[in-house]
Amino acid sequence: MKHYKKMIQPYVVWAALLIVIPLILIALYAFTEEGNEVLTLSFTWKNFAKFLESTYVNVVVKSFWLGIITTFLCLLLGYPLAFIISRFPEKTQATLILLVTIPEWINMLLRTYAWMNILADNGIINQLLDLLGMRPVNMMYTDFSVILGLVCNFMPFMIIPIHTSLSKMDKSLIEAAYDLGATPFQTFRKVIWKLSIPGVLNGIMMVFLLSVSTFVIPKLLGGGQYMLIGNLIESQFISVGDWNFGSAISLILAVIILIFMSLMKRMDKQEE
Amino acid sequence: MKKKSFFSRFYVVLCLAFFYLPILVTMIFSFNSSKSLTRMTGVSLRWYSELINNVEVARAVYVSLSIAILATVISTVLGTITAIGLSSHRKIVKDIVLNVNNIPILNPEIVTAIGLMLLFSSAGFRKGYLTMLLAHIAFCTPYVITSVYPKVRSLDPNLANAAMDLGATPFEALTKVIVPMIKEGVFAGALLAFTMSFDDFVISYFVTGNGVKNISIVVYNMTKRINPTINALSTIVIVVIIVVLVSVNVFLPKLEKRTDHIHPRVRRGVTIFLVAALCLGLIRCGSISSQNHVLKVYNAGEYIDLSLLDKFQEEYNCTVVYETFESNEMMYTKLASGESYDVLIPSDYMIERLIKEDYLQPLDWDLIPNASGLMEEVMDKSYDPGNKYSCPYFWGSVGILYDRNIVDQADLSEGWELLKDPKYKGDLYMYDSERDSFMIALKALGYSMNTVNEDEIREAYEWLVEQRDTMDPIYAGDDIMDNMISGNKAIAVVYSGDASYTISENPDMDYFTPNQGTNIWYDAMVMTRDCSETDLAHAFINFMIDPESAIANTEEIGYTSTVKSAYDAMLDGTYAEISSYLVDDSDPRNEIFGYQDPKIKQKYAELWTKVKAQ
Repeated sequence: MKHYKKMIQPYVVWAALLIVIPLILIALYAFTEEGNEVLTLSFTWKNFAKFLESTYVNVVVKSFWLGIITTFLCLLLGYPLAFIISRFPEKTQATLILLVTIPEWINMLLRTYAWMNILADNGIINQLLDLLGMRPVNMMYTDFSVILGLVCNFMPFMIIPIHTSLSKMDKSLIEAAYDLGATPFQTFRKVIWKLSIPGVLNGIMMVFLLSVSTFVIPKLLGGGQYMLIGNLIESQFISVGDWNFGSAISLILAVIILIFMSLMKRMDKQEE
Repeated sequence: MKKKSFFSRFYVVLCLAFFYLPILVTMIFSFNSSKSLTRMTGVSLRWYSELINNVEVARAVYVSLSIAILATVISTVLGTITAIGLSSHRKIVKDIVLNVNNIPILNPEIVTAIGLMLLFSSAGFRKGYLTMLLAHIAFCTPYVITSVYPKVRSLDPNLANAAMDLGATPFEALTKVIVPMIKEGVFAGALLAFTMSFDDFVISYFVTGNGVKNISIVVYNMTKRINPTINALSTIVIVVIIVVLVSVNVFLPKLEKRTDHIHPRVRRGVTIFLVAALCLGLIRCGSISSQNHVLKVYNAGEYIDLSLLDKFQEEYNCTVVYETFESNEMMYTKLASGESYDVLIPSDYMIERLIKEDYLQPLDWDLIPNASGLMEEVMDKSYDPGNKYSCPYFWGSVGILYDRNIVDQADLSEGWELLKDPKYKGDLYMYDSERDSFMIALKALGYSMNTVNEDEIREAYEWLVEQRDTMDPIYAGDDIMDNMISGNKAIAVVYSGDASYTISENPDMDYFTPNQGTNIWYDAMVMTRDCSETDLAHAFINFMIDPESAIANTEEIGYTSTVKSAYDAMLDGTYAEISSYLVDDSDPRNEIFGYQDPKIKQKYAELWTKVKAQ
């Protein structure tokens, strides 16, 4: 494969221009203060110090908690689905995976608005309950509505990588396990699960990253009191206009996530 | 393997039902005869006929689709060759590239968006189709690499050498041996890239300009008032996707069989031709024809009768590039990032800020003869004394919208304290805006809404915290209107114009302005400093306050007109029964928002975050 070494060159240039430079610009803001002028720079730690106030720490804790719950639920519900899909004939598999992906092509805002109408106090579910003579249930603007929205939106990002690793698995390995006297549970734990770990880690990473920084869905389904780190950054840039503090928060988020990623990577290596 | 159990099939169906439920709801309600998204009032094709006449949506579909296709193709190629090349590099190179590659994936979209916006602005790029495409490639490629790289890593490193030993050129070894072996990863990456690009909102919004919009941007601007035309659009999108999938699955295998005997070189030629044609078409469509005069107008979303724009373009033989923003602050961010416009329609306090920061140029009132028809009440306000820079567009108050069947009429005398009345605990919406919320608390306490006194601000903060703890309010955005139309809660803080619209849709609602005083606001048309088409800009301003246009505009939007004849016509006609249309600015306790010093602004913002996040 040595012949293809040079093929990374275009992307190295590209990444330097469109990933690294914007990040440097943001870091520049994070360590400086006063206004949107790059010319009047003065170095400061102030933006980071401000972050240590309990309100902001709570926001981070809540975001990570929500990210973990969402990721866990996506794994719990998504793994069986990916597993079942991987046992269908190849053609059916492709169709099913497409069926899982298509909803993502419909605008996320639209789908979230539809959930709002389904869950609202006078919404579709409560109208149905009313017809059945039951008492209405308050679902909107709760943890339930936010997590439901996140899981519905991000579960495909868990299913697809898991399915990818399950489908490339050699089926005869499972047969071999049975032949050697393994119970279905042992087969699953020692063969199937082990072989799907790269996909699982990939899925966990994607869902966790998407849900920890999301802000549109919690805002719509949870209301303004659902303050997450994504909302905090957004409001710094859009409504408060404190680009320096906003940049500092995003740098902190990036660092926390980098640490998380390296932990995941270590797990990945151990499995190998 | 053994038979699929009933349970497995049932689980697949259940999961798919979960994914498709919101889409199904959207599709069903696209055939609704009324605007409601919770109650079917009848079946009609009304929203489809409105969609067909909507040029903006047609363009947005084209932009979304072409950007998604181009970004997918380019990022898939780029990502795949990078992943292959990467596998034979030293560990340190791999780690660096992969970590850098992870940045756009792990960064919140808003940060990527701001970073790219800063980059494009400082590099002097003209924002539009090209910047949007570059940004999409930038955030799609990492996803391709993440899904292709594990596949490459699982390949036998000697594979390519083996192929070359057998006489293949490196290129042949690549396309005939390696790529086919990793094709699932490439396919998954491409699918992911397409999904990400097609659905993207935040990044697109910040890096685009000059009137280039994708579907998400159009939807975001529409959702201020749920507009079922967008449901009609997504229904069509779904149907198209299904048709394409079915035809791919049914017809493509047949087609492949039939084209098998055609020489590969011919096939390759056809492919190249198709790609080239697509690219040419895109470039042609991406640039707006600019033979005649172009006026760039930047207004709040859903804040104009769009037919007026067509009328203006016809009358003046010009092109109006019309863009919308979600909030004054969002508009400011875009303006500050170097985007140029001719006419803006912001609110009073923002106009004051723009004047202070030298973004505007004075109006020549001789070129606006219709100004004589403007109401005296809206002129010469503190944000722009003598109306040197601004021509009033709409105006109104902030007040409380309530359900007459639930809220006791006698309780209205509590004014803003109604929002703390335990009778209505859990039954109210606050507006998720620090300025409006602090205005309420300050007014309830008898202070000025423009106060800079730390103690007063602190007291208002405590008022809001106490309200939060005792009342369980929902801090919502523009979705308040739809919630109130559906009667989900009994009380909401709203702008008078939104109240008029809500009451016209749900007659159970009524509006009042609390007796402790409230915010009276004005939105006005201003001309930017860089505006070069000043004659056309004046003509536009004059056109919008023409009595006939003003009537059409106010009737469509529901906000109170600043043109005397239109105001009177509405009070006698469409909005006669609706108290919120009438703006009562006589109370001396009412105030206009003033310019806030950045330090004070940050203080308010910080406290508001604390109220919400505690």
